[in-house]
Amino acid sequence: MKKRVLAVLLGGCMVAGLLAGCGGDKADTTSADAKSDSKDSGKGYHFEVVVKSFQSSYWQAAVQGIEQAEEELGVTTNTTGPNAESDIADQVNMLNNAINQNPDGIALAACDQNSVLDSLQTALDKGIPVVCFDSGVPDAPEGSVYATVVTDNGAAGAIAADKIYETVKDKIAKADGQVRVGEVNQDATSANITERGMGFINRFIELAEADGKTCAVVGNDYYVNLVENNGDSKKADIILEVAVPAQTTVELCATEASNIMNKDDTIAMFGSNQVSAEGVLTANQNLNKLGSDAEKNIIAAGFDAGSTIKAAVKDGTFIGAVTQSPLMQGKISIETLYDICEGKEVKDQTTDGYWYDATNMEDADISPNLYD
Amino acid sequence: MANKTTNTAGTNKSAIDKLGGQKFIVLLVVIALFIFFCAMSPNFRKYTTIVNILDFSYYISLMAIGVAFPLMTGGVDLSIGTGLVCYSLVGGYLITHQGWPTAAAILVSILMGVLIGVLNGCLVAIMDLPAFLATLCTCMITRGLGSIIVGGFGISWPAAGTPGGWFRKIFKIQMNGTNIPIGFLWIILLVIVMTFVLNHTKVGRYTLAIGSNKEATKLSGVNVKFYHIFAYVICGFFAGLASISYAAIFATVQPGSGAGFELEAIGGAIIGGVSMTGGVGSITGTLAGVFVICLLKTGLPFIGLTANWQQIAIGFVLIAAVLVDILKRKSEGN
Amino acid sequence: MGEVILTMKDIDKSFPGVHALDHVDLEVRKGEVLALMGENGAGKSTLMKVLTGIYTKDSGTITYEGKEVEFHNTREAQDAGIVIVHQELNMLGHLTVAQNIFIGREFKKGIRIDDRKMNEEAKKLFDRMNIGIDPTETMSRLTVGKQQMCEIAKAISHDAKIIIFDEPSAALTETEIEELFKIIRDLKAKGLGIVYISHRMDEIKVITDRVTVMRDGTYVGTLITKDSTKDDIINMMVGRVIYEDPKTQNMVPKDAPVVLKVDHLNAGKLVQDVSFELHKGEILGFSGLMGAGRTETARALFGADPIDSGDIYIKGKKVTIKSPQDAVRCGIGYLSEDRKRYGIVVQKTVAENTTMASLENYMSGIFIDKKKEKEVADKYVESLATKTPSVDQLVVNLSGGNQQKVVIAKWLTRDCDILIFDEPTRGIDVGAKNEIYKLMNTLAEQGKAIIMISSEMTEILRMSDRIVVMCEGKKTGELDISEATQENIMNMATREIG
Repeated sequence: MKKRVLAVLLGGCMVAGLLAGCGGDKADTTSADAKSDSKDSGKGYHFEVVVKSFQSSYWQAAVQGIEQAEEELGVTTNTTGPNAESDIADQVNMLNNAINQNPDGIALAACDQNSVLDSLQTALDKGIPVVCFDSGVPDAPEGSVYATVVTDNGAAGAIAADKIYETVKDKIAKADGQVRVGEVNQDATSANITERGMGFINRFIELAEADGKTCAVVGNDYYVNLVENNGDSKKADIILEVAVPAQTTVELCATEASNIMNKDDTIAMFGSNQVSAEGVLTANQNLNKLGSDAEKNIIAAGFDAGSTIKAAVKDGTFIGAVTQSPLMQGKISIETLYDICEGKEVKDQTTDGYWYDATNMEDADISPNLYD
Repeated sequence: MANKTTNTAGTNKSAIDKLGGQKFIVLLVVIALFIFFCAMSPNFRKYTTIVNILDFSYYISLMAIGVAFPLMTGGVDLSIGTGLVCYSLVGGYLITHQGWPTAAAILVSILMGVLIGVLNGCLVAIMDLPAFLATLCTCMITRGLGSIIVGGFGISWPAAGTPGGWFRKIFKIQMNGTNIPIGFLWIILLVIVMTFVLNHTKVGRYTLAIGSNKEATKLSGVNVKFYHIFAYVICGFFAGLASISYAAIFATVQPGSGAGFELEAIGGAIIGGVSMTGGVGSITGTLAGVFVICLLKTGLPFIGLTANWQQIAIGFVLIAAVLVDILKRKSEGN
Repeated sequence: MGEVILTMKDIDKSFPGVHALDHVDLEVRKGEVLALMGENGAGKSTLMKVLTGIYTKDSGTITYEGKEVEFHNTREAQDAGIVIVHQELNMLGHLTVAQNIFIGREFKKGIRIDDRKMNEEAKKLFDRMNIGIDPTETMSRLTVGKQQMCEIAKAISHDAKIIIFDEPSAALTETEIEELFKIIRDLKAKGLGIVYISHRMDEIKVITDRVTVMRDGTYVGTLITKDSTKDDIINMMVGRVIYEDPKTQNMVPKDAPVVLKVDHLNAGKLVQDVSFELHKGEILGFSGLMGAGRTETARALFGADPIDSGDIYIKGKKVTIKSPQDAVRCGIGYLSEDRKRYGIVVQKTVAENTTMASLENYMSGIFIDKKKEKEVADKYVESLATKTPSVDQLVVNLSGGNQQKVVIAKWLTRDCDILIFDEPTRGIDVGAKNEIYKLMNTLAEQGKAIIMISSEMTEILRMSDRIVVMCEGKKTGELDISEATQENIMNMATREIG
């Protein structure tokens, strides 16, 4: 809170000089929001929420869900998060601050599974219940984490494999040589991304083998090593190429994507989160190979939302994308915390990944999750 | 493989002090790297790959041209990376959320760069803060400021073809379905202009003089403070331009990102022969240096080097470049 | 008088262009204090540097404790028992007193530095010297005098047999000097040989037993202190040699207008109440010993250092000078004593350095007119006979004399009426010196007013129309060239002290 006010003050000074009217207004509203967080007190429960970052619009959607739950249940929350998902130490600091507020519960989306363990122990000692969302903390001290709300990432990745395979099935059947399917993963460290990436790969192999085709996974060692019974890349009908950039920037994802898309035998691409899907799209700006016609184009699917990906789905550059339900996760986390306070039994929950394409983007159960 | 590339670059560079013109050598390195990657990967020698490399080079090139000036005064500007993201977030926010015309937003972005440049310059030249510290602070300020103003959301500037998306054509136009990277022409033009500024105007002359011997320059009756500040203003202005190029090439600008961009720009400038202790440098060399980094970043994945190896390779090249700078200075000292 | 512990005989040392030591002799005895005197540049420091291994002698012998020795670095000299207490203190301000004293030879306990033992040892040292300094105190918090004591303690801790004091009293107060003398007498009584370098005549009389005088790199002679007078010593220092064509009369017409008037100028410790006038076409020599405040006066006048109080009038008009920019606008040009640091931008070309102070005259629009710049640089290279292959040559590749000419050209392009030459011929060989002198005379004839700060007596007597003598930040005298002699200048330069 202090930090935020200070930042706003600093920002305010600068902004006042920089952009006379509008910037200043914005800074003011931010601080007003922050205040209202603590003023409203409905049923009396107050929860602290620590998200992975405010960097991507993904988390903004989660905050929306939290706010919905706030209204429905009459509780108050205060949400904080570091600048970037890689600012692990900052997040631990924020979590400790949250614990010191002695809230009725904490909802946590941990950037790093191990760094938060000590803090969780403190929360346990103080008797503050914790609900993890987005990512679990498998080694959390016994009893500290009451429930975990996560997307079934493996299943979500598999949905993309289903849809892509369906579209390129004929082409694979007719192909007289090897064909290549590319996957760009932002990293090889976070549980979400790897589960998703492997979910895609495993399902794709499963579908292809059902049709009597052989597969081989090449590229990033980490992913290749996770594959059981990997095929021979010289003989296989289908090559699955996994690329991971040196840093998680759009630009490097794009470089990796264009490397794969440049190969003549590539028939499909999958970007397993917002950054890597945008990387695929950025690469396509110059290559212009993506499209919805499997005969002529490379078929591609993305993950998550954001205006760029939404636009690509709409105009057919992507045949579709998988969205998680950050909104639902945020909402369920608060509901779960509420239930804990009310003394009810709670259990782990998974939220689904939803496939969306140009036809169902506007549907009521999909569109709230498609943040800009 | 990684060792091979770094060694080539390394040996080329250590020969520099014998041969003289560092920028010429760096240009040779760029060409050598290009030929090397072309030979190693058939996919690399495609037109689209070259367009890709150029696309991704604009913002680093612009930042590097700008940051060359503080570097030549013997300082540094670490705020350009996060600054770039901040300016482009604010510009995009004005368009998408406030309905500003694109041209006005571009102007605001550049103006913000200039103002942060003035702030940096004043902190360094008037308040005598070490450049590293002063710009590290503005680095943090811009990083937070951008996120606050846009409220944490990623910002997408108008897409090509949509109203207000004309600015993307500054960098790339389509002719018969082929992308023409005309942004590169602008970069070349700016390099020529700034080379001229460096060698033929008071600003350039005094920038180098300050870096070479600030005290003597002051005792010559030069308004050292003004020109010292001006170097940072140039840097800020170019960070502003870079923010436009970044918004034009990449679909979404994410708040909180941008830290680390400046290091690529500074690395490029140093590879290109800008001395870290100031007083020496060239803009053409800087551009060549940027392309060494861009080629490595783009080329290494194409020859099958995975993420960690890429970073090792780039790290070695930077060591080689800085060593050359130090060796050169030592030989001049004798 | 004790036995001889150190004999330096026929020491010869040359640097490129300078014969720094010309067969110099020196003898130090146990239990005595030997004063080593001479003007600036007489070779005292060089001799001591040869002794302690900083410089290698070209020829001659050093006999120490009966054996011929040659030290290759200060460490070897220290280990043998010869230690210098430097004028400028070589202390690490952030460390404690004890840590400073034992730096480089710390007591160890295993791999750990044994600070306690170092503190104890330092305490013993101070007790022996009868001074109360806390060994655990941070060095930077001590007064300069106390720091000096620590230097001495450090020297003693080396088990020194000879201690060389290089102008130790320069920064000390009266009481601190008293304390210093007590320590020196103490050391003397313990049988150490002391070499005491100082300009302060009264100190020489009080503390030393013999005086060895050097002049222009040669050994002049040695006197027994109590049998000689101040005048004897000064006579030996300046010599009786007639220098080549010194100016005999003031060349400036009596009615020459005053271009610069400095009235009660104060700036820091080394510029106290300095007033003087400078006429058109005049060369005004500033003489004095090292640290007399001449350079500081020039820097204050030029706006490089802040002025505390006092007025400056240029051509009768009062001006405010707060920065070099102001000074340049007033038509003042400053040629620094330290060319490399303050005069030239070494990595730039001759042409670029030439136009450094007057670039606005060589602009067309916002661009530098390189052709015009080259022309003017060429013009001055020719008129000043600067030896350079071309004006595109980097200044770093020029010799000292030619660098100086580039700096002169810089101010001539500015058309400055007042030029301050601070040690104009330092580090310049003899041939080039004459050229610089000729140039200065020509400039004066053309009506420029010149302030020339110089530590070389010959230079002062040869070039000046009038001479201002300074000592310890104060003006101690002003002489017309017709009445100036080395003796009366030296008298004034040491007046404050003696």
